[in-house]
Amino acid sequence: MKLGNIQAASGTKAYGLFQVGETHGRFPVHIPLHIVNGAADGPTLVVQAGANGLEIEPSLILPHVVKELDPGAISGAVIVAPLMNTSGFEFAQMNSVFDDKHLNKVGRGNAMGSVSEQLVGAYYEAAISKADALLDIRTGSQWSYHHYASVYDDGDFDKSKALAAALGLPHVLLGKAPDQSMAHEAAKDGIATVVAYIGGGPGLRDYRDRDLGRMRNAVLNAMRELGMIEGALSSDVDKTVVIRKHTVIRTTGARGFTFMDKSLRGESVKAGDKLGYVRHPFSGELLEEIRAPRDGVVVDGGASWPVPLEDVVLAILGDAVEEIAIS
Amino acid sequence: MLQVGNLKAKPGEKTFGYLETAASRSGMRLDIPVHLIAGAESGPTLMLQGAIHGAEIIGSIAILDFVAKADPAAIRGNVIAAPVVNRAGFELGERGSRVDEKDISRLFPGNKNGSVSDQTAYIYFKEAISQADVLIDFHAGARTAYERYVLFTVENDPNNLSLMEKRRRKLVVAFGLDQAAFFPPGTFGSGASKVAIEEADTLQITLEFGGGTGWHKNGEDNVRDANRGIWNIMKAMGMIDGELEADGPLCTVYNAGVVIWKPDVDGLFIRDAKFKDALKTGDIYGRLVDPYTGELLAEMPTPADGIVIPSGQEWPTVGATSIGILGTIDRVEDRRTLDLSVSFD
Repeated sequence: MKLGNIQAASGTKAYGLFQVGETHGRFPVHIPLHIVNGAADGPTLVVQAGANGLEIEPSLILPHVVKELDPGAISGAVIVAPLMNTSGFEFAQMNSVFDDKHLNKVGRGNAMGSVSEQLVGAYYEAAISKADALLDIRTGSQWSYHHYASVYDDGDFDKSKALAAALGLPHVLLGKAPDQSMAHEAAKDGIATVVAYIGGGPGLRDYRDRDLGRMRNAVLNAMRELGMIEGALSSDVDKTVVIRKHTVIRTTGARGFTFMDKSLRGESVKAGDKLGYVRHPFSGELLEEIRAPRDGVVVDGGASWPVPLEDVVLAILGDAVEEIAIS
Repeated sequence: MLQVGNLKAKPGEKTFGYLETAASRSGMRLDIPVHLIAGAESGPTLMLQGAIHGAEIIGSIAILDFVAKADPAAIRGNVIAAPVVNRAGFELGERGSRVDEKDISRLFPGNKNGSVSDQTAYIYFKEAISQADVLIDFHAGARTAYERYVLFTVENDPNNLSLMEKRRRKLVVAFGLDQAAFFPPGTFGSGASKVAIEEADTLQITLEFGGGTGWHKNGEDNVRDANRGIWNIMKAMGMIDGELEADGPLCTVYNAGVVIWKPDVDGLFIRDAKFKDALKTGDIYGRLVDPYTGELLAEMPTPADGIVIPSGQEWPTVGATSIGILGTIDRVEDRRTLDLSVSFD
């Protein structure tokens, strides 16, 4: 298998920089990549993370998962990009510093576009378009905290849903809204695609090891589900609740200290139930109560830090449609 | 009458407004939101300050909770409460003010002819801080760290304490946390602002309390305990009646002079040391690893024996900053045997 100048023969691993070009100032535009090319034929799985330069926890574990993998025991190939947005990471920001673009908001890229669009275009063509499955691991950055796997309705929905259910997370969310991400392009191309939201800064202190463990499980479980390695699924929960999304609550009218009721995650709520509230940050007065617009189950994800970013997801509600045992 | 610049409150009254300070080049005013609580009876003045570093907001929430519950009729003395001093930093989730790239907390007593932050510091110091007997200054770990201790200025001569130092010793313990620390001279910066505050005869204690990396699990508890601390200080100052509530009977005070700095290499920071760990010289405090390969780039050995005080970076990327502080136990204060009341007559 060869991606750019990174090449791994059957039964070997390789690491390198998938480089597309250079900026005006001669900084490389690249994505660090691992290839684990199994000794036997099988599907190709792409695992990517850190398209947002502040979503960096996966890079604490994905390189170690690569070390753990024995190419001799793998059928197929795994491509792992632990931290795609190297310039955003460098300067502690979400977007690429070179063109202020978010790598997951330029679709499948553009060979004639800005440096980020060129990078994503070449990467998508070389890695994702030839893959059988894509696992895009995201986190809550410094503001949110999540534990769910989401699936678009596009493409091969059943394959994507099965892959999501196998990851070992508490919730699978169906009906992810179409967007400009690489994952959505992959789903539309019929590739089994899951966007897994695991962890985030507000939980880093107390749950780091558990969340990194969940990321590791997600990768290995995806490989098991795809028949690339042997073994039973591994998880710290015994079942996944599949939820069909019907409501996404973002910052609404009032801005200020925003407190979401974390104890409701995974719980059923009725229309009108209070999910959170907003206080004036200086006077302290109650500005708004955030209420459920309809009955539903609260997905294990959303904002945590009380000064949320604009347009951030505060809570997601949906209907529980299925429970799947993880075994 | 309690008056802070353009803001006023009569005895028995609680008011809210914006202390007029300065405007930026676009005309954006950086006036400071201030609550005034004028007690029905005379007594000392307590000042509460939050988010002078704009992303350090746990104290801000606790101050708002306090103000909501405070009854001026039941208070002896006055409270001046500024929940968010640095509005520009708060807006952008940043420590300083991007308006002029300055840190207001480093500028006291300010400069009326300086930049916007200099002017803001000048008016705020002159009108608010300098008329307080006690200033509780809430800091936190912003979104990248987590902390839980009372910080106070090192004493000139522990065997010959000044009146302010004697009072401060009591209030540090009265706040109610189980840990406190002071930094020996030269550990961090010059502390010119702290000197200015002391010269104004305002006793300052600083709370390093909470932070983003621990928010999801501990945020509500942090706010509750910060709020408890405010009421404890009020009780110790004789502004209200009641018993102190605390983490426990003991407060360990650390001489926190061992700072661990990030080495020259960079990568992902993994902190291995836990709060209260007793480390020996050479023990590994944390590591830096390559973000793409996981390769170990550097270990951070502790430069001296010490106990990890509850402070330090936890987010995996750090700037050119301290990432941890170790201390030795200076003393253990026992609340059961101490008179923590402080008189400002």
